[in-house]
This record gives sequence, C-alpha cells and structure tokens, in this order.
Amino acid sequence: MKALSLALALAATVATFGAEAGEPMNDLEIAHTAYTAGGIDIRYAHLALAVSEDDAVREFARTMIRDHSAVNEAAGTLVAELNVTPQDNALSRALVEGASAKRAELTALTGAAFDCAYATNELAYHRLVNKTVAETFIPAVTVAPLKALLEDALATFRAHEAHAEHMVAELKCAG
Amino acid sequence: MRGLNLPTRRRFGQGLGTALALACLPRALRAHDGAHEVEVHVARFAFEPARVEIRVGDSVTWLNRDLAPHTATADGGGWDTGALPQGAAGRITFDTAGHHSYVCAFHPHMKGAVVVRPRAGA
Repeated sequence: MKALSLALALAATVATFGAEAGEPMNDLEIAHTAYTAGGIDIRYAHLALAVSEDDAVREFARTMIRDHSAVNEAAGTLVAELNVTPQDNALSRALVEGASAKRAELTALTGAAFDCAYATNELAYHRLVNKTVAETFIPAVTVAPLKALLEDALATFRAHEAHAEHMVAELKCAG
Repeated sequence: MRGLNLPTRRRFGQGLGTALALACLPRALRAHDGAHEVEVHVARFAFEPARVEIRVGDSVTWLNRDLAPHTATADGGGWDTGALPQGAAGRITFDTAGHHSYVCAFHPHMKGAVVVRPRAGA
C-alpha cells in the first residue's frame, strides 16, 4: 500500500509539473529526470543486496544494477557527445525525495517483509517510470538521439516491470 | 563448444558484413561448403531469430543491440558467451549435433535454441 501511495504521489507530480511550470519539460530536464530515476533504482538494488537473503530478489537486484548502470552510462556518453548539461527540476527532486523516504522505510525491514516491500516497490516504481517515459518524455523530447535512447531504455524498463511482476507473484506477498 | 567474445564495435561491423555476405551466397553453397557462421541479433530483450539451424562445425554469433548487457548461455551451462554489452558480439562454435536450448543468464525469460545437424557424409 505504501508503495502504491508513493507511486500515486509521484504520478501526481508528473501530471501537474508541466501545468505548474507553464510549459512541458525540456530535453535537458527529461534527461536529468531519466538519469535520476535510474540512479534511484540502483540504490534500491544495493540496499536489497545488503538486506535480502532471497535468491530471486538478489538476482533481480543484480539485474537492476547491471541494466540501469548500462542505461545511465549510455546517457552519460550521449550528454558528453551533445556537450550539454542536464537540468535539475521539480520532478527529479520529487523522485529523489520520494526515494529517500522509501529507502528509510525499507531499511527498517528484514526478511520476507523487506523482500515483499522491495518487490512491490520495484513493480510500482517501474510502472510509474515506464508510463512517464512512454507518455510524457518520449513524445516531448526534441533531440533525435535522446528520443532513441529513451525508446531503448523503455524496452529495458518494461522488461524490468515484467520481471518485477513475476517476482511479486512468486513471493506471494499478502495484500 | 568453443567461445570467443568480440567486444568491439569494429568487429561487430565485421561480423555483420560477414552475415550479409553469407546471405548473398547461393543456398546450396552455404549448405555444403565448409564451416559457416550464423548471426543472432539480441534486441528488445529477444533473440532474433530465436531458433537457428546449423551444421556441426558451424558457429553462431550473438550481437547485442540493447542498452542492457545480455548473454547466450546454454540451459545446462555447457557454453556461454559471457556478458555482452551493447555493440558487443560473442561467438560459439558447435562441435556436436543436437538441440541446444539457451537463455540470457541476466534475463532468463529470453530464450533461444540452436539446432546442430550432422554434416553431410559424417
């Protein structure tokens, strides 16, 4: 439930951000937000490797570190090639603040309680990120290489979402 | 099995060129002359084609086009390309006939198969 609440709060931030700013996010803000989202998931994964003793959860976490690191490395390479600096923005900050609260919540858990909380959060997080990338970022971005990168990244994140769905089902978490 | 990783874009291009050249050869020549190399593209979290047929002594090269690293790893662990970052290729030569199912070790929902036929006259 807490994972769902976080997802809804962040979704509301995504939905209202453009209206509050009076204009849609620009390419540099989108790049910053996508990179931030990947970094957040890597930190969740490191926490999972430190706490979880479940083989499937640990394998998922290793996959998140491996894949998100690869995506962010590609993003870093593109940013360097374009010679631009991604811009911090309200959505990036909301993601960071929400993730900080979630990590504090996860850190207080152990065993199956941690595994279920981590797994359900991963599912909710990837659903939110994927929806945002597909419906907000990709249509809005104007630089072709960044759009292509986001499309490739989305394929990766959708695989993660499916993997997270499977992990949650296998853990048989109550509620 | 013999494996060889070729983790460079240059060799990726060379491999692609080889595949294109092989695709242009007459089918009879491909079926009977020496060892050949078949390419499998890894893209959008799938092996394409998911099933390939080769002869004993032929090789399969997997080319990763995804951002995420992948592997081609035998179900029984008998062969493994190792981690293939984006743009990298890994080649395995098959010395025995049989049906070889494989997965990506990092994303096990990705499945493929290499069917190795005996070489004519062997």
